Amino acid sequence: MNRRDILKSAALSAIAASVPLAVPRWSIALAQEGSPIFTLAHPAGFPDLDPATSFSNDGAVLANVYEGLTRYIPGKDDQPATLAPVLATGWETSVDGLTWTFKLREGVKFHDGTDLTAEAVKGSIERTIKIAGGAAFIWSPVTAITAPDPTTVVFTLSSPQPLDVIAASGFAAWIISPAAMDKDNAWFNAGNDAGSGPFKIDRYEPGQRAILTRVADYWGGALEGAFDTVVFEIVEDAVLDQNMIEGGQADWTYGLPYENLDALKANPDLSVVVNPSFETLFGMYNTKKAPLDRPKVRQALSLAFPYDDVISAGTSGLGSRAKGVIPSGIWGHDTDAPVPNTDLEAAKALLAEEGLTDGNLELVMTYATSDTLEATAGELWKANLAQLGINLILQPMAWEAQWELAKSDPAATQDIFVMYWWPTYVTPYDYLFNLFHSEEAPAYNLGYYSNPDYDKLIDDAAALSGTDRTKAEAMFKEAQRMVIADNAAVFILDKPNIHIMRADVKGYQDNPAYGHVVFVNELSR
Amino acid sequence: MSAFVRRLGFGGTLCLALIVTFALLALFAPWLSPYPDQGMGTPNVIAKLKPPAATFWLGTDHLGRDVLSRVIFGARVSMSAGLLIVAFSLLIGLPVGLLAGYFGGWVDEALMRITDVFLAFPALLLAVLLAAALGPGLLNSIVAVAVTWWPWYARMARAEVLVLRGQPYVEAASVMGVSQARIAIRHILPGAARPLLVQAALDVGPALLTASSLSFLGLGVLPPTADWGKMVDEGRKFFPDRWWVAAAPGVAIFLLALAFSVLGDALRNREGGKRRDTT
Repeated sequence: MNRRDILKSAALSAIAASVPLAVPRWSIALAQEGSPIFTLAHPAGFPDLDPATSFSNDGAVLANVYEGLTRYIPGKDDQPATLAPVLATGWETSVDGLTWTFKLREGVKFHDGTDLTAEAVKGSIERTIKIAGGAAFIWSPVTAITAPDPTTVVFTLSSPQPLDVIAASGFAAWIISPAAMDKDNAWFNAGNDAGSGPFKIDRYEPGQRAILTRVADYWGGALEGAFDTVVFEIVEDAVLDQNMIEGGQADWTYGLPYENLDALKANPDLSVVVNPSFETLFGMYNTKKAPLDRPKVRQALSLAFPYDDVISAGTSGLGSRAKGVIPSGIWGHDTDAPVPNTDLEAAKALLAEEGLTDGNLELVMTYATSDTLEATAGELWKANLAQLGINLILQPMAWEAQWELAKSDPAATQDIFVMYWWPTYVTPYDYLFNLFHSEEAPAYNLGYYSNPDYDKLIDDAAALSGTDRTKAEAMFKEAQRMVIADNAAVFILDKPNIHIMRADVKGYQDNPAYGHVVFVNELSR
Repeated sequence: MSAFVRRLGFGGTLCLALIVTFALLALFAPWLSPYPDQGMGTPNVIAKLKPPAATFWLGTDHLGRDVLSRVIFGARVSMSAGLLIVAFSLLIGLPVGLLAGYFGGWVDEALMRITDVFLAFPALLLAVLLAAALGPGLLNSIVAVAVTWWPWYARMARAEVLVLRGQPYVEAASVMGVSQARIAIRHILPGAARPLLVQAALDVGPALLTASSLSFLGLGVLPPTADWGKMVDEGRKFFPDRWWVAAAPGVAIFLLALAFSVLGDALRNREGGKRRDTT
């Protein structure tokens, strides 16, 4: 499950902190001047390298080894987001949005020498659906896949869905060689690969490192000064990652504390790249438990939230104010969403209106242990709420425990559930459905919000998103405004994506649709 | 005074003074700390991560709070954690050891096998698991550590009781028809308790360290309460550039743990000396 890796156990990071600094075990991969080796100081390990079931940080490796049919290219400024052809060169949908035809690229070879064929695409996706692990659910609308000729794949869907976007997913959409169709999870996790990408896995030591080497006859070619070798050094401690990038032992890293970035920016050997991410932080109000079952009380809490202080103290001013739950860069983002600003007087007036002035109100906010940003948000909010006579109890928990508690009886659980969300593939429906669609048994709708009009609106919009994306987008925005008007959650901030690189690396483009993935073939030195 | 210093030794006296200072700071934290509201957790974002200076002697943390005030308030949590862990452990360990040693036989067997079960786990690991299961909170972390700590006291108490049980004055009391409970409590317990109390003084330091480790792992007090272990964890992330956030509470843990250990040593030497006198 990919939302959980940020919650790598506190114990692990403490153990990592005790790794002696004296002997750098990564010295074999020194990133020297002009070196054709690209080294990533990777703060997280790779739990599952099986392209069918991977649903975590593994994408960092898989995206360089495997390819999908399409790739999502996020919108920038006024440029709308687009889909780039990868293994598919073109695609079209029928008028009803139920049949999708993809034309495949010719001359693509897998690392084992076999050719890319329509059968390989059909087989890969059918394998993913059959195993049904990880993010396989993205294919749930698909009822049949056929391969009428070697370069044509036809998908039949049960409901109209944007299959071109689904095929660009960073999880569960990788195409593998026919020779590997019957291989099991253990085979992939032993460091074998069956991809068609620019690199192949040369060596894999779980929890330590992965080393990729360039494939000679990659269809996409190689840039001048391109890298021959990619080394992922798994170093879970931010202090060590920072040492490595500063000392030139690594070319790229992320996850360093925001507070240290000014010093890194001043270093001429490094470049600090700040981009918006698709990761948004919010707190879901328990709409099934008094007193937060009353929308005005929820509104008062949102008015008391110190948005600007959390952005400045928690992210050194690099985060951006969340406009609802859909971050910028994703279609469906609403730049004009009516989100509240901090206003303690207005909050006080609302609470008085609701008769909550006696000062005995206690609310419990749960969040992930050792997540500094969530803790900062909680502490600053608590200080503001104290002025309104509300005692906010900050309850840090291991993610699994926080989640289990929230899935039990809504009337007896937390009042506010704080977490991050980012989409499996890029669609506003992922956020709006998972977080606010009515659920019999709560999975991720942990504020237990339930609104039949809202449910219908987003379901209809999702059905339209394959054929009429403009209309669908307008409907998604309308639905999000319902959630905002009902104050179902406090929308805290959109996290920045910050990557630190050696300054001599050229061609870097962050793609938030794939988390912290580097497409090394686009880089050179 | 000079006699007192002679009995405890110079180091012991110094450490006692240090502990008393910390205790006074903890007790009178709201009056002694420069920014009591920040010590209790009120953020002050404008002044975040300021280096030590005249206004903030030990600098400020990531929420702009005065580190000195936080360290002073943190002494409350750390000292009470250290002392309560040892107290709880004594409270469980001493009666268990007394029963096992005095009655022997199947009682001894049963109680000692239970103690062995607890001793079979690595102490810190068991504490981490328990604290994770109980959820964060000061009392929970104290209980979690005490559960791993008491078997040592039970073992020690049992050994002492076994020695004392054979002493002539105990046998004499038994012959005179004094009840078993009275013998155990009036004649054996005081003798067995003394070396345990010395051991307890020695253990406050390590107990405080263990409690801080739990806090460091996010299993201690709830925010925004100040706690040294937690402060080290928060400051660790920007340690190289902003050393004061982690260094100040780290030094405080070091000093207090050391003070308790040296004082415990001094007490043990004194105890040992007295024993030699009596034999």
